[in-house]
Amino acid sequence: MLTPDRVPEIIRDGFSLKLDEIVASKFVVGQEIITKNIHPAGHTRLPLYARSKRGTIMMHHGVFPFPDSSAAGAGPNPQNVYCVRFSAPEIWGDNTHPLDAIYLDLWDDYLLSLKELPR
Amino acid sequence: MNGAHDCGGMHGFGPIDRCHEDEIFHAAWEQRVFGLLWAVGAHGFWNIDEIRQAMEGMHPNHYLSIPYFEHWLSAMERLLVEKEVVTTAELAAARTRVTQEVHHVDA
Amino acid sequence: MAHEHNHDEHDHDGHEHGSGHEDSHAAPDPLVVRTQALEALLMEKGLIDPAAIDALIDQYEHHIGPRIGARVVVRAWTDLDFRELLLRDANTALAQAGVGRLQGEDMIVLENTPTVHNVVVCTLCSCYPWPVLGLPPPWYKAMPYRSRIVREPRVVLREFGLEVSDDIEVRVWDSNAELRYMVLPMRPAESHGLGAEDLAHWVTRDSMIGVGVARAPIGAES
Repeated sequence: MLTPDRVPEIIRDGFSLKLDEIVASKFVVGQEIITKNIHPAGHTRLPLYARSKRGTIMMHHGVFPFPDSSAAGAGPNPQNVYCVRFSAPEIWGDNTHPLDAIYLDLWDDYLLSLKELPR
Repeated sequence: MNGAHDCGGMHGFGPIDRCHEDEIFHAAWEQRVFGLLWAVGAHGFWNIDEIRQAMEGMHPNHYLSIPYFEHWLSAMERLLVEKEVVTTAELAAARTRVTQEVHHVDA
Repeated sequence: MAHEHNHDEHDHDGHEHGSGHEDSHAAPDPLVVRTQALEALLMEKGLIDPAAIDALIDQYEHHIGPRIGARVVVRAWTDLDFRELLLRDANTALAQAGVGRLQGEDMIVLENTPTVHNVVVCTLCSCYPWPVLGLPPPWYKAMPYRSRIVREPRVVLREFGLEVSDDIEVRVWDSNAELRYMVLPMRPAESHGLGAEDLAHWVTRDSMIGVGVARAPIGAES
């Protein structure tokens, strides 16, 4: 049970979800990807606005539990998380500022390399 | 899930409301919900993804019409029942008691 | 600034700042009842200690807030080695600065420059870098900001009083995973010569979210 004396410690240390395990990365920084066209009925952290969109991997954050699995009680299914940059016109089409961009942190299972494009 | 929470790019929500923007809590119940989340969360009955899913799964009309901290309150109530930590009967009985004993209203 | 009060978030009659005043003749606010009932039930079951809840509330009402982030920004403005570390490895830099980690266990600090303006959101819920900014303001968690900042950042920034010129790139960072983001605002030229204590007042919460920029404190004498 959480007691008052433990509150400073949890605020200080937090609860990092980052995992020490090494999982083979499917993608590398600088690579162009396209997000999958998935519409899971359960929890996902791939927003609707960013499905089937082309982006560029900007950072590799490390390995974290995959939310779609862990919310379903299917275990952590650890995967690499990357910071991906999408140009505003790619996400929204016309009537956006051409310089602007949206950055999302995405797991391996949300992404496809351009070679894997469906069709 | 393609729920109401997944709102990036949705139209129609209007201007940013900056009323009371320096109040992180508007009422005592909100403070308690915030604290309960961590106090109960410490037991590991759920992980962060499960509780987000519980919030996201409410009917979109409901999600959009309730105050922010009620999302967390509803998610906690739902998960505590699903995980069999409490029962709906126990929750109902507790509400009746609080209504009578704290608020002096016959429920 | 002119705006309409949005009642959607407080759709309970007489509720707005309710709770403290239990009128024995009026039906109590259901949210108050539900919360009190949940806490009482969990306490009965030996699962929670209300004093721990009191301690958490106290920490976030009185101790953890944007003043922490402001000190970090000022240090980055005045210590180039710290700045470089903060941008390269925020976790290490923040640990050195004595910053906690709850809801900021994995931090990234984003540098605003003359050509790039960064702004942070969590479209899916309300993720926010608590250790440096405290708990988020209501508008950050609400649908207007969440829905619009990714779609029309410049229009939203204008609503906050910030005009971004056409030659500047706006980057919107949607905190959809466990990384938490904080903006390192540019230091205004007018602030040169000020000591750290004074400088901290130039760093607003809004500038560290990215809906504002660092600026002279309102009403301050120069």
